[in-house]
Order: sequence, then C-alpha cells, then structure tokens
Amino acid sequence: MKCSAGVPLWVGVSCIVLINGCTGMSGGQLPPVVDQGTQGAELSRYPQTGEPAQPVPRAPARVDPPAVVALLEHAEQQANAGELESAAVTLERAIRIDSRNPVLWHHLATVRLAEGDPLQAEQLAIKSNSLAAGNFALQARNWELIAEARRNRGDTSGALSADRQARALGKR
Amino acid sequence: MARRRKRGRRKSRRQAPRYRIPWLRGLLAVAVLLAGYLVYLDFKVRHQFDGKRWSLPARVYARPLELYAGLPLTPEQLATELAALHYQPAISPRQAGEVSRNRNVFHLITRPFVHWDGREDSRNIRVTLANGVVSQLVDVGNGAAASLVRLDPVMVGSFYPTHSEDRVLVKLDEVPPLLTEALVAVEDHNFYSHHGIAPLSILRALWANIRAGGVVQGGSTLTQQLVKNFYLSSERTLRRKINEAIMALMLEWHYEKDEILEAYLNEVYLGQDGGRAVHGFGLASHFYFERPLAELSVEQIALLTGLVKGPSYYNPRQQPERALQRRNLVLDVMSAAGLITHEQAVRGKSRKLDVSHYRKKAINTFPAFLDMVRRQLQRDYREEDLTTEGLRIFTTLDPQLQWQLEQVLDRRLGGLESERGIPANTLEGAAVVTSIQGGEVLALAGGRHPGFAGFNRAMDAKRQVGSVIKPAVYLTALQRPEDYTLATLLDDGPLTWKAPNGNDWSPQNYDRQFHGMTPLYHALAHSYNVATARLGLELGLDSVISTLTSLGLRQDFRPYPSLLLGAVELSPLQVTQMYQTLASGGFRTPLRAIRAVLAVDEIPLQSYPLRVKAAVAPAPAYLITTALRFAARTGTGSALYRVLPAAMDIAGKTGTTDDLRDSWFAGYTGDRLAVVWVGRDDNQSTGLTGSTGALLIWRDLFAQVGDQGPLQSAVEGIEILRIDPLSGLRADNGCPDAVELPFIQGSGPVESAPCAVGGSPLQRPVDWFKELFE
Repeated sequence: MKCSAGVPLWVGVSCIVLINGCTGMSGGQLPPVVDQGTQGAELSRYPQTGEPAQPVPRAPARVDPPAVVALLEHAEQQANAGELESAAVTLERAIRIDSRNPVLWHHLATVRLAEGDPLQAEQLAIKSNSLAAGNFALQARNWELIAEARRNRGDTSGALSADRQARALGKR
Repeated sequence: MARRRKRGRRKSRRQAPRYRIPWLRGLLAVAVLLAGYLVYLDFKVRHQFDGKRWSLPARVYARPLELYAGLPLTPEQLATELAALHYQPAISPRQAGEVSRNRNVFHLITRPFVHWDGREDSRNIRVTLANGVVSQLVDVGNGAAASLVRLDPVMVGSFYPTHSEDRVLVKLDEVPPLLTEALVAVEDHNFYSHHGIAPLSILRALWANIRAGGVVQGGSTLTQQLVKNFYLSSERTLRRKINEAIMALMLEWHYEKDEILEAYLNEVYLGQDGGRAVHGFGLASHFYFERPLAELSVEQIALLTGLVKGPSYYNPRQQPERALQRRNLVLDVMSAAGLITHEQAVRGKSRKLDVSHYRKKAINTFPAFLDMVRRQLQRDYREEDLTTEGLRIFTTLDPQLQWQLEQVLDRRLGGLESERGIPANTLEGAAVVTSIQGGEVLALAGGRHPGFAGFNRAMDAKRQVGSVIKPAVYLTALQRPEDYTLATLLDDGPLTWKAPNGNDWSPQNYDRQFHGMTPLYHALAHSYNVATARLGLELGLDSVISTLTSLGLRQDFRPYPSLLLGAVELSPLQVTQMYQTLASGGFRTPLRAIRAVLAVDEIPLQSYPLRVKAAVAPAPAYLITTALRFAARTGTGSALYRVLPAAMDIAGKTGTTDDLRDSWFAGYTGDRLAVVWVGRDDNQSTGLTGSTGALLIWRDLFAQVGDQGPLQSAVEGIEILRIDPLSGLRADNGCPDAVELPFIQGSGPVESAPCAVGGSPLQRPVDWFKELFE
C-alpha cells in the first residue's frame, strides 16, 4: 500500500493508523506507537558529568500504551468517516498521554493536510521528525507529507527538495 | 359593541350633547388600552418563554482526568479528584457518582458527561494504584481491562452577569419522575387538568385565609407560580394577582403542560448562596447535596419539593427542624398519593437531613487562571455572550497541580519571611505551570492569596528578568556551530564596553570575581555575567533580539547591552512562553488555557487546537537544554538536588535582579515546565536571589509533582564527545575532569587536550560524579 500524501485527501487520511503499510513494517497490525529510536536508549550512550549514567526509564507501559492504541483506532474511524476535526481532537488527546510519540504527531499532520491546512501540516511533520531520530521510514513519510503540503501551497521547488529528502531517507 | 355604541348614541341624544363624544372616547380608549395591554402581556409571555428564557453564566471546567494503565497517579490524588467531583462514598457503588475505596483500589461508577468531543458514558470501573501509577483499570461489568476512562471534569468557575442568578439547566427527561410527581402532588394536584388557574383552590385558600385572619394558604397553580417567578416582581397587590392569572391562562393557551413544567423546574427559587440566588432544581441539588439531580434519594427529593413553599423559612441549614418536618410531611403526601410505598416513607422519615456542609466559597475558585481564560475568550466572544449564553468552557487547568502550586507558594513565602526576618506578607509571588509538548497552561498563580481576585501578577506584573534571559544569548551562539559549541572557551575576564554616548559599561559577576577562560556550558550553568555580556556583544544585540522573538517574545526590545543580562521587563507568563520553546525542542506553541467551547445545547462552537511552529532547529535546542541541565545539576540551580531525587532530570535557570528585587526560576522536566517569580509589589529588595527564593518554590512543587520522565529526546545530527573542560579540547581517560558533551555533528574539537594520554581506562578512570560531590 502506497500512502503518498499526494493522493486525494481521503486515501491520505485512511493511512492514518495503517502507517505500517507505509513504512514497510509488517502489515495488518497497528504500528508500534512508540518509536524505538527515541526512547532513552540514545541518551544512555552519553551520560554527563554529575548526572546519572543511566537515563531514568519512563513510567511503565511505555510501549504501545493501550490507551493510545485505542485513541488511534478511534481517530482512524473518525477520519475515515470524514470527521476530520474530530480525528484531530482525538489525536491531540493521544498526544496529551504520549506527547513524545512521533507517530501521533505524524497522524495529526496527515489530518491537518487533509483539512486543507498545509502550513500547519508541514510544521507538525517537522515536529514528528524531531522526535523520530533513527526511524528513517517515518521520517521519509513526513518528508513525503511535507512535499505534498508544499505542492498544495504552490511551492514546487520546496516540494521537490522535500521529495529528495524522502527518497534519500527511504534508501536508508 | 355596535349595539352598545348605538344605545349609547340614543342615550346621549337624550343627555347633554357636549358629553357624548368624551364618554365614547373614554370607553374606546379603555377598550383599546385593555386590548393593547392584553396584547402586550401575551407578547411578553410568549417572547420570554420562546426566546432566551434564562441568561446562563458560562461554566468553566478543568481538564477531565483521564484514567489509563500507566498514568502517574497516587491514591491520594485520585481521592482528591473524586472529592472535588463530589463522588459519594458508598459501601458498594450502585449508581453514577458513587465510589468505594479499599486502600489503593477504587471502585467507582463514573457519571455520564458530554465533553467537547463527545459523550462519555457512565462506566463501572475498578482502579488499582501501585508505585505511583495506575497499575490496573478494569471494567467491573465484564472483568476486562479498560483502556481509557475519562471522568467528568471539575467545574472551576462561572462567568456571571451583574445580577447574580444561577442555574443548572435540566431537561424534563433528565429529572427523576418522582420529583415532578411529588411536586404536582404537593403544590398543584390538578396541574394536568386545569387551564392555568384553579378557581376552587383560590376560593379554598381565600376561605382558609379569612378564617386564619391572614395569608396562610397560596392556592396558586404551578403555572401561576411560574408566572410569578418568571415575569413579575414579588409585590403582593391585587393588580399583580390579576396579571398573574391572565398570564397563567395565556401560558396554558400557548404551551404544553410539559413545557410549563420544565420551565418551572428550572425557574423556581430555592435558596440563596450569599449574593447568588439559587434558581431551579438542577442547581438546588448541587447547592444542598453536592450531586446532580439524577442521583438524589427519595428523602432528598422530598426535601427539595418541600422547599418550594418557602426556601428561607424551611432553609435546611438554618432551620433544620422545620425543614425536617416539612420533608416528612412531603413524604407522607407522596405515600398517600401512591408515589412511594408506606415503607419507603417510613424509611425516608427515619433518615437525617443529609444536607452537605455549606461552604461559603468564592464563586470562582481560581481567579487568576479564570482571568486568563476570560482574556482568551474575549478575543472571540462579547462580554454579554460570556455571561448569558450558557457557554461551556473546557480549559486546560489541572486542579490538583493548581492546589499544590497555591499551597507551596504561600507556604514557602511565609517560611522565607519568618526565616529571614522579612516583614510578614510583604513577599509576593506568581507562577505558571505548563505541559511541555502541548503548551497547555496547567496551573497559574497570580499571587500568594489564591482566592483573591486582585492583581494577576502571572500575567500583568512586568518585572526585570535578570539571568533568566541568558539562554537566549547562548542559544544565539549555539545556532552558529561553526563558531560556538558547548565546549567553546569564553572569556570571563574584565570587560568595558564603550557606549556611543561615551558612557562605559562594565558588567560584574554576582560573586564580584572574574573566572578567566571558561567553557560555554559552564558559563551559562554558573550564570557568569561578564562572559555572557562579551558573548552577546560578539554575536550582536540584533541577533540576540531575533532569538528572543523567535522564542515567542513579541515585544520591542531596545538594543542596549544590558538586555544581555536581563535588564528587560517581562511577565512570568512571557518568560514561560520563552522557555516553552526551549523545553519543547525548539517548537513554539502559543500557550493555551482553553481547549474548546460548547454552546448551551452542546454544539461545539470553537476549539483551540494544538499548533506548533519550528522556531529553533532541534540540534541547538538540544544543546541549550543540555547546558541548562548542567545549570540545574551543578550550577546556580544545584540547590534543587538537595531535596529532589537525583533521578529527576531537570533543566533550569535562576534569575536575580539588581538589589535583589526579583527572584526567578524557570525550569522544566520531561513533561512540565514551571516559571516562578518572587518579589515585592513595591519593587523593593526582597533579599533573595533566584536560588534562595523562586527556586525553592519550584523545588517544593516538583517534590510533590514528581515528574521523572526523560528530558531530552534523541536528535538527529548530534554526536557526543568527551571533552576536557579546561582546554575545551578532546579528552580521553587521561583527563580526570572530562565531561561528555553533545555537539552538532562535525562541530566538535578535533585536537586532543594536554591531559589526554591515550592510556587504558584502568589507569585513570573518569570520575563522572566529581562535580556533583564538590
């Protein structure tokens, strides 16, 4: 399944939860809503003077919190039913619970793009990328979305450069 | 009429002709006036009934508590939340709004509630808390795990119009049928058959009054009572009685019985809460029992029904004996009318009044936060809409955090005054707490006396910020990785800057010493003024101002070098906005106090969505947070860790202004940012630095909040190098004081420090914690 953000709004939105289809993960299931690249493991490589050598793990149930999975599913249903604003509100609710989860920010960007707000969609995708260190598949998806947002705004050269970023990341 | 006129004419022919015309005119005039008056009354009746019947204050709600496995929450916090929501303790919860607690396990039936994004049904759940989190959330009905349950939100205030009437509107189908039946049985048992007035009842009342020699019986129908409450003043004249009867007939002519009953239920006067009149059963239920109407017991329904006859005469808080008798009488009437069984009446009569303890509470519990809400709303709504349209405003307020903040602020300021011999009640403070990624204002204190709706210092006190501004200078540098890194050595030697007007500016350090060449992260962590001023002048004041603007400070900064050391006046809220951008990894999010607004009919009017703007690239933002972690761990903020656990990861900066007038601390953890200011309203010296004043309040708060999430997310393009802080060059295990610092890829030093020996780690181990224990 190719979830190009360039397709008509609906299809783009239907990718919401099925991002695994877009990122090359095993199909049919929800994506891991926690992206491995961002969870403290990185920090543990460089403890600093006077600081604990190991990062403090987050609260338990950090991986795939059922609450966040439930909200993502709900947001998908809403988006597919055309209730974009409701989907956005549900995603914000999920972000409140798991605010550093880049997948949630990506979905919110997708919904804003579908709503016709390419400026905010681009910013949200950048935000998603800032939390997605190491997750090149998600970063590539965000760049695809940014490219589409820029095309929507008539910024062709900006879109091309975003496309290049997406392709480069896709190869990694 | 025609015949009468004819007769009149004949009559008048016989009488003196000159009176004929005025007589006729008089009659006509009376008829026209009467007709006009009736039309006017009819218009009044219909207009008010059809149109806006009540002006409803806007209601302001805190954030609803969302329960899910893994949520950080202590049993005490959950208990506090449920108490604020007036959940009633029960041995075994049977209806919504009841809770039982067995140490760390809560069994509760949540209330259904219409949130801004939809209805949340009632849920029967068991919540188990362990190790500071929700460890289990179970649906009692099917025994399965519940993923997410949202409670109803605490109502934290209302926006009232000048005349203080209040209501909780109820629809007829939300009212327990027993209440309406009891009301009809007690007040007007012919309600469903009469046409607005009941002449027999009036005669009966008249006879009773004559026999008693005074007014002892009313005889008004519910419709008449509604008219009286609805349209008329409380004067007792014949004219009013006649008006009342006419309007009651009109009301019955135009409207269904159910519509009249519903209006009555919402209109009838049932008590007085200070300056606020309690109208309608919906509010009365909260006022007397602290629970919604749907949750009332039989005897509570009887008490409310009995109150209609005379809310002050039968006031259950002031006249409990009278109220009890009246309630029991109503229970007898209900039993006689077959509404309840004889046993139910007997059981009800045996119960105590069970009226909640009256709390003379300020209508708005958190005036400073509500002030912020109101100002945000005033951009979109007229004042009149806020006080009359019954808007439901869903805010971002975390009431638990707000209570904690108010408590620590007042307690610590009082403590500082007594410890340091400062005259009592001269120190003031303000604070703002936000969620980092969402930019939501979770708590806001406008002064140390929380219930007092006075000067909102969090928003309106513009005070010099001192060193709290310095991260903007260092961030400007770190955005030029080719020139500056965290390891770049800055010169903290004497500096004199010649102003264009010929004046010299020679900044001093707080300790009146110069520290020579010092790595950039260390200069910020220890808040060296001279190194900062020199750095800022190298970078250019315009560049620093541009950084301040991109961090979210919309203000005209005048390009004086003293700006670099914080000679600029900002409110605590503005400082919060600035640190919000640093804390969220360089993304600017306008601070929000409101999530959404619903109209009275639960139609969404407006939402205030989460919006972000990439303002600072993630890598420099990462570096500045690292430097601020050093500031908290080993620099000017190190007093934090005398109390807080070492595992709590904090980035923060102190601020102190000339003559110790202002004491600031701005700091953030994984999830929350808080900015605290301490000073005096007369702008005199407090005798406090940032770390001996504001920091302590911040520390008190986070000791309670206990946020231990990781502070920094990994950022693409950052590498970690081991550095010798003396030389700012690459270190290895030969360097005893080496630190590991993040660098934007390729920007770190290449040369090795003199101490580097390239030896085995076993020869000279790095002492990670050296600085910590110094």
